[in-house]
Amino acid sequence: MPVIEAIDLRRTYQTTTGVIRRKRLDVEAVRGISFSVEKGELFGLLGPNGAGKTTTIKMLITLLLPTSGEARVLGHNVVDNPREVRKRIGYVFGGDRGLYERLSAYDNLRYFAELYGVSGSKQRRRIDEVLELVGLKGRENERVEGYSRGMRQRLHIARGILHDPEVVFLDEPTIGVDPVGARDLRQMIADLITVGKTVLLTTHYMFEADALCDRIAVIAKGEIVGQGTPAELKGNVAGGRVTEIEVFGVGEEILARIRALAGVTAVTVEEQDQKQLLIVRTTGERELTQPLLAELDGIEVGRVASREPTLEDAYVALVTAE
Amino acid sequence: MTSLRVFFLGGLISYRALFSWMTPSIFFLILVVQPVFQILLFAYIGRAASVGSDEFYVVGNAMQYAAVPCLFAMTQTIAGERFQQTLSYILISPAGRLPLFLGRALPVILNGFVTAAFSLLVGGLILGVRFPTSVFGPLAVVVLVATLSCTGLGLINAGLGLRVRETSVLSNLLVGILLIFCGANVSVSSLPDWMAAVSSWLPLTHAIKAAREVVHGSSLTDVQGLLGRELGVGVLYAVAGLAIIRFFETQSRRHATLGLA
Amino acid sequence: MMRSLRVLGLAWLLHVKMMSRSAFDGLMAVIWPLFYATVAFFMFRTGHGSSSLGPIGLAAAVMGIWTAVSVPASSALQRERWFGTLELLVVAPRNLGLILLPITLAASTIGLYCVAGTLIWARVLFGIHLTIIHPLFFALGLIATVLTIASLGFLMAVSFVGSRRAWAIGAALEYPIWLVCGFLVPVSLLPGWAHPISWALGPTWGMRTIREAAYGGAPLGPLLLTLALAGVYLGIGVVVLRIVLDSARKRATLSLA
Repeated sequence: MPVIEAIDLRRTYQTTTGVIRRKRLDVEAVRGISFSVEKGELFGLLGPNGAGKTTTIKMLITLLLPTSGEARVLGHNVVDNPREVRKRIGYVFGGDRGLYERLSAYDNLRYFAELYGVSGSKQRRRIDEVLELVGLKGRENERVEGYSRGMRQRLHIARGILHDPEVVFLDEPTIGVDPVGARDLRQMIADLITVGKTVLLTTHYMFEADALCDRIAVIAKGEIVGQGTPAELKGNVAGGRVTEIEVFGVGEEILARIRALAGVTAVTVEEQDQKQLLIVRTTGERELTQPLLAELDGIEVGRVASREPTLEDAYVALVTAE
Repeated sequence: MTSLRVFFLGGLISYRALFSWMTPSIFFLILVVQPVFQILLFAYIGRAASVGSDEFYVVGNAMQYAAVPCLFAMTQTIAGERFQQTLSYILISPAGRLPLFLGRALPVILNGFVTAAFSLLVGGLILGVRFPTSVFGPLAVVVLVATLSCTGLGLINAGLGLRVRETSVLSNLLVGILLIFCGANVSVSSLPDWMAAVSSWLPLTHAIKAAREVVHGSSLTDVQGLLGRELGVGVLYAVAGLAIIRFFETQSRRHATLGLA
Repeated sequence: MMRSLRVLGLAWLLHVKMMSRSAFDGLMAVIWPLFYATVAFFMFRTGHGSSSLGPIGLAAAVMGIWTAVSVPASSALQRERWFGTLELLVVAPRNLGLILLPITLAASTIGLYCVAGTLIWARVLFGIHLTIIHPLFFALGLIATVLTIASLGFLMAVSFVGSRRAWAIGAALEYPIWLVCGFLVPVSLLPGWAHPISWALGPTWGMRTIREAAYGGAPLGPLLLTLALAGVYLGIGVVVLRIVLDSARKRATLSLA
């Protein structure tokens, strides 16, 4: 039995626009998402901002009711048995907030230990354990307001696993953390699997999903656009090539002509300070460097490079497909 | 001409930014409901203590409450900009300081005036206090003078607020001090001498006295001495406030203090 | 049951800690009522003379408990959302009410600092002496008042649902409760239609208990009423909370910033 099951989950919000004449708008944040996670898996929900990752995770942890569809965690329906679900899950999210600034880390953990049902006799020992695990031992009596972002994140993880949940949900846990700190955090997340937990992670960093996850579901605009192991997803763009060309000021008409070239599957432009990086994905059947440069005649061109596609390319291809 | 633009537009825009957190309902609760209840509260305490007339408390509290928008809005406008980190941009702008900050004061003064006028009318209505229509004109002038001088205090508060983290504590303290000292509920003559001395150097004291006389039929000329003193106090505070802002601004350029939240 | 008491106790303690460490919540809550107490002392001294100021001092002291609660309680959910902890509290396998009540109870406890502060202020600056004829009932009355105000705060906390204007409603309710609960203004002075409102409010009976205990009267009846009303507010609050939480899950209002 899968540990997490999402079956055609949908979530629509109603927002109002305007101040005087209010209009009601239906926003479909999640449009039929289905996936399942097996025990001991580290599963990633990968997608750009606004794709619906956070909404999906909130439905799974019983914070939000799905507009339609079903979801089960450890066999318990998230709509009918929220309490059973809540007892067995941990929720960790990224960012500065979510902790009581004026209290020490230790007091924060005491509070949440009590709230999340860690039995009284075990509390002290468990708190010490998690502090050790996340590397905050020795600093637990300092007030959280003095903590750095990385330390807060570690405290978040500590709090999330205090009650030894079977499933841990992490929503963008490394956001805003410096690279070294983020690497340590990722190691901690990976370690959760070794102690038998199941982890669902949302992120918009593809290298993070690639490095950590056993399986990934790519989400864009509320739908899953690709699912599989990192290797499988890369396989979707295998056989193609990626040509990167540095250009200085290319306009829409030229981009349109490039897209129309036979063999070109996608064109994206990355703004980089003074210049732009034109990323052209091709099927790889024909050598397209000459036709590409011909289209760019008259425009200043810098470095030209051709390479194998990476997971990032697979991701961008999936996410920007119409 | 630029100074005039800075004066009007700058003030208006920053005021609206301030009110991004203040919805109409919050405005209603804090600037309409609360002052009216303050009047009712003290009028009834006055009845319980057998001291003062309903009219005494209506006038006194309506005017004292004008200090609330003058202090809070002024401080919020400037501290709010520090919070949104726009203050440093403003301070390094070439616009003249005076039109800049006075422009921000204009909507505040208007706000204070409207608050006082409104609570005076409504409070009076509920308690059955009738003001002869002839006093409205002179009373409006007195209320305007009161809010002007309160705004001066607001500038000092705003200036101090640049260095203090919890600005609302400061603002609340000042409102409380005014409640005791300015004669809103306890006539200055009933206060011990040293307190009465402090009162005469605070905004609102002279204006409240003038308002009470005007309500009893005195003309503006009769109270011009009081009004003059009130304006004088206000100007003093405004100048001090601008100086404090200037001081902290220079300090921050030396020690990089203002950038810190 | 034990668990629930533990949660209540620990949460209460930690919130008292947090509130004491804030200039605004802690210090301001104690100082603010002193301004009003001072004005009241002057007014009553002018009107009735110095000898009658005892009950005024007492009333002003108890008013402070309400001040400490009205804004923090009504904005409790709003503050948790601001801290980013609201979602964590909702997702905890525990009744949210059990988590909210300690917050208002903590605020009410801070109110006791106000009581002490006002009585000291009254003594030192105005020479007002407090004589207490029934000290046990006085203490019980104080505790009952803290509880009933905390429960009223709890009802406010769940009713205003962390709306952005929750704190403003709490602030706007400060004066009305002072006016109507018979602190400085005897209920008899209020218009007739306001009397039932006074009697339905726990603080009215709490004040009565404390006064009767101090000056010798019949504090038991008011004491029981104070506690009974506290129970009523709690009960209503629990029902309202359930309705609010269900609606929030459906309309996604709780989790959105």
